Amino acid sequence: MIGKVRELAKEWLTTKKVDAIFGLRKQNNDVAPYLFTDVKELKDLVLSIDNRICFTVRPSKQNIVHLIQKNSPDMKIGIIARGCDERALIELAKRFQIDLEKIEILGVACTNKDAEECLCPIPYPKTIIIGEKAEGVSLDKIKNVESLLGKTLEEKAAFWKEQLSKCIKCYGCRNVCPMCICKECKLEEDLWVKSGELPPDFPMYHFIRFYHMADRCIECGQCEKACPAGIPLLTISKLVRKDVKELFDYEAGKDVEQESPLVTTLDETPLKEEAKDVAV
Amino acid sequence: MLQYKNVLTTCPYCGAGCNYYLQVFDNQIVGVLPSKTHPVSQGKLCIKGWNAGDFVNHADRLTKPLMKKDGKFVEISWDEALKTVAGKLTEYKEKFGPDSLATLSSAKCTNEENFLMMKFARAVLGTNNVDHCARLCHASTVVGLVQSFGSGAMTNSIVELEDADCIFIIGSNTLEQHPLVGRYIQRAKEKGAKIIVADPRIITLVQIADYHLRHRPGTDVALFNGMMNVIISEGLEDKQFIKERTEGIEDLTETVKKYTPEYVAKITGVPAELIVEAARTYAKAERAAIVYSMGITQHTTGVDNVKSSGNLAMLTGNVGKASTGVNPLRGQNNVQGACDMGALPNVYSGYQNVTDEKARAKFEEAWKTKLPDKVGLTIIEMMDNAVKGNLKAMYIMGENPMVSDPDINHVKEALENLEFLVVQDIFLTETAQLADIVLPATTYAEKDGTFTSTERLVQLIRTAIEPIGESRPDWKIISDLAKLMGSIDFKYNSPSEIMDEIAALTPSYHGISNARLEEGGLAWPCPTSEHPGTPFLHKEKFTRPNGKGQLFGIEFKEAAELPDKEYPFLLTTGRVTFHFHTGTMTRRTALLDREVPTGFVEINPADAEKLGIRDEELVSVQSRRGKIEIKAMVTDRIPENIVFIPFHFAECAANLLTNSAYDPVAKIPEFKVCAVKVEKIK
Repeated sequence: MIGKVRELAKEWLTTKKVDAIFGLRKQNNDVAPYLFTDVKELKDLVLSIDNRICFTVRPSKQNIVHLIQKNSPDMKIGIIARGCDERALIELAKRFQIDLEKIEILGVACTNKDAEECLCPIPYPKTIIIGEKAEGVSLDKIKNVESLLGKTLEEKAAFWKEQLSKCIKCYGCRNVCPMCICKECKLEEDLWVKSGELPPDFPMYHFIRFYHMADRCIECGQCEKACPAGIPLLTISKLVRKDVKELFDYEAGKDVEQESPLVTTLDETPLKEEAKDVAV
Repeated sequence: MLQYKNVLTTCPYCGAGCNYYLQVFDNQIVGVLPSKTHPVSQGKLCIKGWNAGDFVNHADRLTKPLMKKDGKFVEISWDEALKTVAGKLTEYKEKFGPDSLATLSSAKCTNEENFLMMKFARAVLGTNNVDHCARLCHASTVVGLVQSFGSGAMTNSIVELEDADCIFIIGSNTLEQHPLVGRYIQRAKEKGAKIIVADPRIITLVQIADYHLRHRPGTDVALFNGMMNVIISEGLEDKQFIKERTEGIEDLTETVKKYTPEYVAKITGVPAELIVEAARTYAKAERAAIVYSMGITQHTTGVDNVKSSGNLAMLTGNVGKASTGVNPLRGQNNVQGACDMGALPNVYSGYQNVTDEKARAKFEEAWKTKLPDKVGLTIIEMMDNAVKGNLKAMYIMGENPMVSDPDINHVKEALENLEFLVVQDIFLTETAQLADIVLPATTYAEKDGTFTSTERLVQLIRTAIEPIGESRPDWKIISDLAKLMGSIDFKYNSPSEIMDEIAALTPSYHGISNARLEEGGLAWPCPTSEHPGTPFLHKEKFTRPNGKGQLFGIEFKEAAELPDKEYPFLLTTGRVTFHFHTGTMTRRTALLDREVPTGFVEINPADAEKLGIRDEELVSVQSRRGKIEIKAMVTDRIPENIVFIPFHFAECAANLLTNSAYDPVAKIPEFKVCAVKVEKIK
């Protein structure tokens, strides 16, 4: 598969379909994001489900694609995106963070193994260029969810209290989230979360974020992977996403034209988010 | 065209050695991205690591050399600065002899820089007066574990903790001070390990502890002896291990006899039955690990405490195999390395003694100069000698004794009494403010080199951006000074060349080179260029000369200064997760400063009520050495009659109060126990 990705990336660069390819590169025995402009470098291009191409840069609080576009507004970028990366790009475009016109998505489908490892419900982008569509992991197959659904409210609260009290307040879940792009974060306001305390306020510290993510979370699972304490954060995200789907028939990352039902005015007409941080 | 790069590097905060990428846009650090494959960090970081790019470009960075004229700093050229320093140091060396000079090396700097600083002191200045802050944190570990095992470092690797069956954490607030090490304790717990925490405070790790032993600070030896008394009297010791691999069991058995759980309960305040249960749990575990940190090292009995941890581990056969051992957690990114490099008054790199003729001859030959044969001064002795006037000049690199050292008033008197003080740092620290010349150094993000983590893992740091302003890497500054002082050596073009010299002269680093480190870290000992490194020590035999581990009978001794009528509270000091040491970097990091902007004194609600003190009220805390005003934090976290102050904050510095009484062998000061009074401010 990687051979095909490299080939296509080379073609896109040589035919000037794009000015640069944004993907992952083998580096120092590890993997890091890289902006490929020279076809000779493509031999080091790799795929890795542990590394997302669409992530927020901390502490700058801006998505990497947004930052690249801000710095090079005229550059046409090819982005090697999995399903989750593409969903993030769609949500970001919806929120005026990036300009999809200047982006070509080189969609790569995940394998069954990838999907199971990430517990991913939609392990492929809208347009698959490379790879075959694998089956997503449905919610009822996830161990935590299954055991939680049978529990009483008190039992659920106890479960989460125990889990969330392991938190060391690294802000890692927020930091890696491709959609946590607020300039002013409520987690950094004493009104909501008392500063300097460990573990942080239960349940405010974590639940503020989950609620803010309700119409944005694209289920990439990066939050859970970044958590040093091993808190099953993806489980909550999945349950919230399920509620939003059932209540509003809305799925984040599905369609750039579909506006969030949670962003409304009192007279129920949709309100566009402020476009003050527009990329281009 | 935009230049976007990700530079893999090692975190400059604690000794866990996490790796991450510094993300750079056109020579500007824009963020931090955790490394997914690093053995410890595995895609995760603590709050300090996530924000470790923030202070690099802070407006307060020193960008030009400074000289004090009429009590004020003025900017000068590098040329003038280096010539002045070289001239002054030469002048004092000639007038008062080499031992009138001293240098402080830095656990924040690279191995290469520490190696050069100790080489500079010995080969250029001609004195063994070189020390660094390991004196203040793990000097007792270096000395104590050498006596017990033959090697003064963490015996096992961090990730092994995950598979331990029992972890005994004593004097380490692991989840807060080494969060990514704490993670492996959390994981061990989830896999069914029993967790024993011995700490007077209710630290965050207590949440997952099966047993919490809240012993009175300074009674660690008694607690260890009590546990060993139970183990021996119940026949739970590993008799085969003791027979085959250790010596000194008779002495140990005899000594711990009187330390019955009831007797130890009286000394420590820990209920006897809790001591019995903890001892049984530790002894019965298949693989039991001890994790400790400054809670046991920073005492006048620091070496005794460390040796006691060795006793307990060997008594139960918990050394030399995976997921066991004695695991001191080093506080600084490179405090292990600074020790390994010989930035200590008694040893060259690789712990080769300056008093050993053969070792000295080896270094004399390599450096083509005569070297001093007398053991030099430790930090505390340097300060004493500066006050007495014996020490004339000091060259301090990347250390801030005006906040970090005990009894700051005494430190101030010492540094002010010097005729010449040079401080090389990234910010104008409290110590730099007292300097005659300040040399602006670069941060970890602007230079190459290596750090050695607490698990002996030697790892690269890589240049991410160009030096800020006119700042220069420490290795360059030292090399230039050496050359100006007439050295024909010190002709290094890169830190990699310095590493080659380190490897040639240091047995445990023989097999290490930058080319190998490009592929990932190597844990010493790494004796040959094919050797894969050593995750855990003492597998077949101990590194002591006869291959046996040494058990000691150790009697409990009280701390140097105990509460009395006038100073009724016991003060113990420590840290918070959001800050690092003297706050030079973390207090210049927006998110960390927001979390905890200033210091506080933890006081138990019962004590607070007696004194009529409310939460957040400003109170006075006073010891025989100093007095501070500080915000009270009324909390159950601290037991009655004890107060706790984090030492990061210069404006309410805990170390104005602490006692500089030190361990007779390791000369580590007693930061963890002194007597204070707490008063309401009227």
